[in-house]
Amino acid sequence: MTAVRDTTSASLDALAAEAATGALTGERGVFYLAAGRVVHVESAHTPGLGVLLTRGGALAEDGWWEAVDRDGARHRVGRRLVDSGRVAAGALEVCHLGALFDAAYFALAHDPRAHRFRPGAAHWLGALRPVPVATVLRESRRRRDLLHEIWPDPLVDVAPLARVPGARATALPARRARVLDRVDGVRTAADIAEDLAFRTYHTLVELRRLAADGLVTTAPRVPARPGPAAPDPCGTAWDDPDAALLRRLRDALEAL
Amino acid sequence: MANLETALKECLSSIDGASAAALVDYTSGMALGTLGGTKDFNLEVAAAGNTDVVRAKLRTMELLGLKEEIEDILITLSSQYHLIRLLKGRGGNGLFLYLVLDASRANLAMARHQLRRIETELEV
Repeated sequence: MTAVRDTTSASLDALAAEAATGALTGERGVFYLAAGRVVHVESAHTPGLGVLLTRGGALAEDGWWEAVDRDGARHRVGRRLVDSGRVAAGALEVCHLGALFDAAYFALAHDPRAHRFRPGAAHWLGALRPVPVATVLRESRRRRDLLHEIWPDPLVDVAPLARVPGARATALPARRARVLDRVDGVRTAADIAEDLAFRTYHTLVELRRLAADGLVTTAPRVPARPGPAAPDPCGTAWDDPDAALLRRLRDALEAL
Repeated sequence: MANLETALKECLSSIDGASAAALVDYTSGMALGTLGGTKDFNLEVAAAGNTDVVRAKLRTMELLGLKEEIEDILITLSSQYHLIRLLKGRGGNGLFLYLVLDASRANLAMARHQLRRIETELEV
């Protein structure tokens, strides 16, 4: 059985070699594997698949929640959405892959040591289009390099962003202008992506270009940002689930 | 109602002369799905390279102030056609289908027509 290795990527490599099934939890994200392939990745820094599908207009919100309610426990939400004709299989796969690679980019950003591996754990979405671990690692590296070429400051990805005072934007492409409109000194790239229901990587590309053009910079630290951006209604928090449970338990006991 | 795999398969089986197909995200240059290709013709590399072609054209149109959208881009080599079709659908923003055709066997007008049909079936 694999112990957690020094880096997340090393842990993933080992799990792939073992054809392991389960969830690898790290500081910035959770990798779900089935038979050594990546079936889903979640990260606090990227909007989930539900946001991309419902806010992007591909799926009505009711339909999403109905599928989650009815088949979440059976890990078949994806299959349900397609079978019930709510969303085309191709659209779901494309959105899912977008969300998966976006989350993997963040989860592997500094390639920290993963916290733990839970054998057998499966994601409620179910397997849609498993991706080999090597592909996920290679793609994350490539994205990191691409972003680095545009503007070599990884803080833009995670810090609250502000407009550069006095800088005037002239004739930006529509998408970049919409991203710039939402830069307000408080929002992070993830907040902006969620707000626009854009995939995060696309938003990062636009933000780094805006940074390179001298229009956007990381905001000075604001004290105590209010909580996590959105509570995760599906209870699949990126936080180490057991630690979160223990904290809640302790709080409850103290409140007695 | 096709999924990625079947949409790409349909590209190769229903379009005369088609030898390789890929669905590519042109913001990241990543191929979301590929089919065909050989060890001499790496589709991942083609996807990343053709992303630059699409970006360059979009950028040129921006500079020219053209508000139109690209439907497709055709590149003719001596023995091959490369056809790039930008997807329009709601979620398709930022994706293109890339098709390699054998110039001696392909019918370009038919290929464009078929590709348009496959695109609507993919419903991205």
